[in-house]
Amino acid sequence: MRRRSLRLRLLVTFGLGAFILSSLFASLTYLGVKRLLIENQQQTDLQQSYVNAAFVRSTLYSEPTELSNLLNSIHKATDSNVLVQTHHQWLARSNQASTLDVSLATIKTVGEGHATEQTLDAGGQIIFVVGVPIPSVETQVFEVFQLHNLERTLQTLALVLGLGALFTSIVGMSGGIWVTRRTVRPLEEVSFAAALIADGALTTRLQVNRADREVQQLTESFNQMVSQLVQRLERDARFASDVSHELRSPLTTLATTASVLQQHREDLSAAGQESLDLLVADLSIFQSLVDDLLEMSRSDAAVPLVREVISATELVNQSVRSAARRLGIDEPPVEIDEGVGDPMVLVDRRRFERVITNLIDNAHRYAEGAVALRIEVQGTQLALNVDDAGAGVPGDEHEQVFERFFRGRAAHDRGIARGTGLGLALVRDHVRAFGGSITVSESPEGGARFQILLPIVESEQP
Amino acid sequence: MTHRDLTKVDGESEGEHVSRILIVEDDDHIRTALRLMFEGEGFVVDDAPTGEVGIALFNRMASDVAIVDIMLPGMSGFETCLSLRSASDLPIVIVSARDDTADVVLGLESGADDYVTKPFVPEELLARVRAHLRRRPEKSTGAFQLGLLHVIPDEGVVRQTDGTELHLTSTEFRLLTDLASNNGKALSREDLLERVWGYDYFGDSRLVDVHIRRLRMKIEPDPANPVFLVTVRGTGYKLVI
Repeated sequence: MRRRSLRLRLLVTFGLGAFILSSLFASLTYLGVKRLLIENQQQTDLQQSYVNAAFVRSTLYSEPTELSNLLNSIHKATDSNVLVQTHHQWLARSNQASTLDVSLATIKTVGEGHATEQTLDAGGQIIFVVGVPIPSVETQVFEVFQLHNLERTLQTLALVLGLGALFTSIVGMSGGIWVTRRTVRPLEEVSFAAALIADGALTTRLQVNRADREVQQLTESFNQMVSQLVQRLERDARFASDVSHELRSPLTTLATTASVLQQHREDLSAAGQESLDLLVADLSIFQSLVDDLLEMSRSDAAVPLVREVISATELVNQSVRSAARRLGIDEPPVEIDEGVGDPMVLVDRRRFERVITNLIDNAHRYAEGAVALRIEVQGTQLALNVDDAGAGVPGDEHEQVFERFFRGRAAHDRGIARGTGLGLALVRDHVRAFGGSITVSESPEGGARFQILLPIVESEQP
Repeated sequence: MTHRDLTKVDGESEGEHVSRILIVEDDDHIRTALRLMFEGEGFVVDDAPTGEVGIALFNRMASDVAIVDIMLPGMSGFETCLSLRSASDLPIVIVSARDDTADVVLGLESGADDYVTKPFVPEELLARVRAHLRRRPEKSTGAFQLGLLHVIPDEGVVRQTDGTELHLTSTEFRLLTDLASNNGKALSREDLLERVWGYDYFGDSRLVDVHIRRLRMKIEPDPANPVFLVTVRGTGYKLVI
């Protein structure tokens, strides 16, 4: 299952967390401040309305005709609307006052002789209604305060808090990015380095500088692990190489002595001659094995390649020629696809010759020789096919055939024609060292096709 | 020197051509086996366990060809080569336990004409030694001028403008004259191995490359930018006269 990226998760967590927290904080602040402001205002308004009610009462006593004027002047002074009711009839009101603002419940309560107050939030507009009874004249005074100023203040507050919340979210997100960089970047570096090392860049190490303690610990243990792995690899490679080196001297003596015995072959009995032939035959296998082991230990111990830019067609022709001579067999034909031109490849000439020799030898051993070596261009790569008309390589052995000491069914069936078991493994090692790849499939002749792909470094069209 | 060696020397004085080979190898078993093999093939063998003994033997016996191991106690194989080369043009074949390019190059730079790596196929070593001995009398082309140098293949010398001789080893000289005889056309490394070293199958192209470099050091005004002995990409080398 594909997991979501840690980077994304951290970012979302931080961003969302900051957003939720800041929104919550802003909302609470808003509500708290709003309540406080309203209460404050109501306190003031309440006092105001009692004073105004007193004015109304004295006006009703002294000159009732002036009531409307009084209400209007109150409106002018405090921006509130005053309504006066007597015996359930509206007696007077200020110009902009609306009877709808006063609820029946309020009217009823005040009518029963109790002062009351009510806050109405009608469509975002907050009104504060205060009812004051004047029992001596059976009159009720209602004062409706519009909390305009408060609304404006609250709007500003909401804006400021909203912006604050937004800003906090952005800061949170940035924090997320920073934390992500701090935590995910080292992880990515580790994974990148591990990939490089897996690809064979064994000198890859992580940088220890400017890191947090935990990351530094990770970096250090990672580097330590790689160093120990590399040491171990080197020790193994050195061991193989040392063993092969130690075998050289006795093997040289054996081979030379066998050749001296060959000089005196005629002096030997029939049994002696037969033994000598067996000795010589196995010595040559032993020699090839040590040769291959040495070559392999060189490539394991990363002995640097002597790379040069060489014309691919020329290189293949030369390698085939020298391989055939080395193996003492006829040269298989080299067929160059039309339009190949003169592509150049970057290889170690000696190792490339080894590759061709081993492939031709392989075809010779298991398939009565290579039918042809075919060169074609596939995009930016040169494809070299070594085709034979033998039994082919069974599908389940396509990978294994390149492993060290792997002996396929073909090898068992043919019995005597045994190789070292290292030939194709060496081929793959070398081809990979050139930045190429090798695969096996079926040839047009029905046998095996070993295909080498090498990057073309430059090309000249014919 | 063994008693048998002395009898072979006597045989030579009777008119039969016998080649003397110097074997410098510190491993007793290998040295003995090689001595037996070469004696069996009709050589007179002088064998030495160290470079110092080898050089002393060479000075007394005037060997025709030498086989020198690289890993020697005391004086190294490289130093032994240098010392032998300064005294003679005899073909020297290095026997190396390592065939890392650096070692091969260093060995050839020390004046060796050829190298084989252990474990070698004895017949191959024998064939190489024979090839070196066989090619000693050189095919000749006409004298030619190479910049300030006058090459006289018949006499086997290269003269500088002041009349003094520029010393080339026989392999270098042969390389030069073979390239000259190809009329400015390029020769592949394989061709050169065949023509100069006389091998048709065990060649390693590094052999040619190192000798070309050594020759450039001697004949080119600026060896880093050769004008006479030029590389033909994808083919090999040619001599521009």
